[in-house]
Amino acid sequence: MSKIIKGPSTRELMEQMVQESEHLSISDRRDFLRKGVAAAAGIAATTFAGRSTAAEINKTNLPPNEPTWGKQLGHGVVEQPYGSPSQFEKHVVRRTVPWLTADSIASISMTPLQDLKGIITPNGLVFERYHGGVPQVNPDEHRLIIHGLVERPLIFTMEDLMRFPSVSEIKFIECPANGGMEWKGAQMEALQFTHGMLSCCEWTGVPLRVLLEEAGVKPEGKWILAEGADGAHMSRSIPLEKALDDTLVVYAQNGEMLRPEQGYPLRLLNPGWEGNTSIKWLRRLEVGDKPWYHREETSKYTDLMPDGRARKFTFVQEANSVITTPCPENPLVKPGFVEIEGLAWSGRGKVKHVDISFDGGVSWVPANLKGLVLDKSLTRFSLVTKWNGQPWLLQSRSVDETGYVQPTLAQLREVRGGNSIYHKNSIHTWKVAPTGEITNVQIT
Amino acid sequence: MFKSLDMTKPLIVLGLGLGLGLSLTVTAMFTHAAQFGIGETATAEQIEGWDIDIRPDGKGLPEGSGTVEAGEVLYEERCATCHGLFGEGEGRWPVLAGGQGTLKDERPTKTVGSYWPYASTLYDYIRRAMPFTAPRSLSDQQVYDVTAYVLYLNEIVEEDFVLTKDSLASIEMPNQDNFFIDPRPDVQNKRCMENCADPKKLMITGTLKGITPVGHFVQGADAPAASHDAQMEKEQEEEKQRKASITGEAIAEKHAVEAASLSELALAGKTTYEGACKVCHGSGLTGSPKFGDSDAWSARIKKGMPVLLDHAVNGFSGDTGVMPPKGGRVDLSDQQVEQAVAYMVESSQ
Ligand code: HEC
Ligand code: HEC
Repeated sequence: MSKIIKGPSTRELMEQMVQESEHLSISDRRDFLRKGVAAAAGIAATTFAGRSTAAEINKTNLPPNEPTWGKQLGHGVVEQPYGSPSQFEKHVVRRTVPWLTADSIASISMTPLQDLKGIITPNGLVFERYHGGVPQVNPDEHRLIIHGLVERPLIFTMEDLMRFPSVSEIKFIECPANGGMEWKGAQMEALQFTHGMLSCCEWTGVPLRVLLEEAGVKPEGKWILAEGADGAHMSRSIPLEKALDDTLVVYAQNGEMLRPEQGYPLRLLNPGWEGNTSIKWLRRLEVGDKPWYHREETSKYTDLMPDGRARKFTFVQEANSVITTPCPENPLVKPGFVEIEGLAWSGRGKVKHVDISFDGGVSWVPANLKGLVLDKSLTRFSLVTKWNGQPWLLQSRSVDETGYVQPTLAQLREVRGGNSIYHKNSIHTWKVAPTGEITNVQIT
Repeated sequence: MFKSLDMTKPLIVLGLGLGLGLSLTVTAMFTHAAQFGIGETATAEQIEGWDIDIRPDGKGLPEGSGTVEAGEVLYEERCATCHGLFGEGEGRWPVLAGGQGTLKDERPTKTVGSYWPYASTLYDYIRRAMPFTAPRSLSDQQVYDVTAYVLYLNEIVEEDFVLTKDSLASIEMPNQDNFFIDPRPDVQNKRCMENCADPKKLMITGTLKGITPVGHFVQGADAPAASHDAQMEKEQEEEKQRKASITGEAIAEKHAVEAASLSELALAGKTTYEGACKVCHGSGLTGSPKFGDSDAWSARIKKGMPVLLDHAVNGFSGDTGVMPPKGGRVDLSDQQVEQAVAYMVESSQ
């Protein structure tokens, strides 16, 4: 299985295409991508046929022979004091679409969801979104100030913050622009690019409520401004209600201190809300009586409607789901049993059901929820079935505990048109060809 | 990693006493009023240095005023390389002006003038994040000036306008009334299991046919480089002009083809260059020698690699501008900088 992934498969091709098209003009790029997609599709098909990889296999490592690694010793302890993945997993990396932004300092990269298992995203693969690059913050010189409409303005060192009783919670974090490239049509032949602005970690820190209690919010206090210490000084207004509900001030992820890319040494986490509100490199929280209307809640992160008006403070990431096996990067390899797997999540709470359709949404069957089913967390679903080369139009549809049912693209477009950029949580379709090749299509 | 606690500080006792007394007045809104007495009281001075935010009602604006005239000089020096002389946006850098009346179009142009609801946001944002390569480098006065100028570029204020604490809050932006609170959930799907759609009526569109991709390649997700007003033609024209004027990107393309002739050291430096140096050297920003421009580099190259490397690592202020140490990226190792210098030098001979 891993051989298929490592050959010159769709993903490498996509990446190569993306790199090569960086310097092309707009229309050239479009053309290039189309041709490239055709090429990628062709390659995926040959990979499926099992030809491209057989030559690479060293038969002397296969039974009945004793493989090389069984006849010698490996390296000892602390050869790598901080371990890294196997050399055979080099393809499991974050990727970006360079032409989205003018440079890589204010840009985004995506998580390789197609290669991940379970619900936790490894720290090195959590998607990145920066507005001024990754600052290298010295934790001993980092401070958090809480001020504004409070009884006692406070300044905390990292050491102070880590003395508070801590909590650890598994929560997803998603950029509201996830899938936003596809409002007007299918664009990307890769799960990583259609849904990869999404990750899920166990976060450790202090509930913001505790810190606010420490400072004492005055009765007029209704909003909080959170601000980062990076060059972008990213800032967002957050309603006090949320801050007192489940917002966390986080210093660790998946058991270790935050990665620089994720806000080391301190970040905010607003569970279930658009990722941009979870300010990284958090240095300041100001309590006020009104929102601030900063750039990231006016120019950006507002949703333009067809009538020219725009929605503001669109915080929640509504219920969503996507099938991760199969997907363009993980074609169906052999007829017979297949476990269809995917991820579902909702910013309003727990995932209640996930249904799968094989016929483009005409009929649906319930999938199983696997493992942990947690509030505002990724939830893995699965359905074991048989595939005998029949064409499928595969879809998944999640329902959350509020009863909200993930919508169709047509339903979203009817209300929101095609220019709202953010919050596209519609049912996604993978077309399965008789060869097992998977392509990205939209059904309306 | 963190220093050990200083138990001799009286702050815990003090904090507890103060905190408990005051918290009684606010406990009503909290479930419990635990006070840990952790953290120190932030001083007015500490807060003042970091409290940079501005609100639509003008709260947070410093004393001072700015003029369009002074703003123009500053804008052309510090902003136009990226945002264009008229705010039209160079290449894929953000567009700052124009686009009024396009919000209902197939491809709307969202700018300060066409989209932003409050003028205060402009002051706030420039003060916190611009110019992109040197955030927090402008004085409050300069931010007033350049804010006035960007408003002028958007035809929101007249040429002789003087921006002050009070006048800024009173500016009415054209699109101010067109934002409304999130009404979601706005669509209602049903959990239908059988005969949910008519199979004959399903329209299937893939990436190869069907809907032409628009918008995405220009604006994409929440990409900042929103040059949406440009029609296809205009984009192509701009693109052509950009290449013709031998920008860093066009040259980078040329050199990508010649990549085979680069040394191993130089090849290893490509990534560092793109991540840390291209932002200035790609276009000659702030007086930096442009990537691929042999005229700009020949005299420098004569100084020899050790000198160039020293200047790149430790910073250098020559006749044309200021090269910050490691391009401002102190996280880079000296070796990475060396590779990047080699890549730049070999590509610019
Ligand atoms: C090196 C290029 C560069 C320079 C120089 C620069 N900017 Fe920017 N500007 C950017 C980038 C990149 C962004 C978007 C950043 C992001 O995505 O967060 C931006 C965003 C902006 C925005 C917000 C645009 C929007 O629609 O949201 C404004 C306003 C702005 N800049 C003003 C200025 C001013 C004023 C100056 C000069 C003092 C300046 N910029 C200098 C690159 C630049
Ligand atoms: C913020 C803009 C900026 C960035 C980022 C930047 N440079 Fe520079 N660089 C300059 C300027 C301006 C000069 C010209 C200084 C002068 O000669 O007055 C310069 C000059 C240089 C020179 C020539 C020095 C000499 O002695 O003539 C080298 C080499 C160089 N830069 C390497 C780098 C490398 C490597 C990086 C990335 C790690 C980088 N620069 C990033 C602005 C920048």
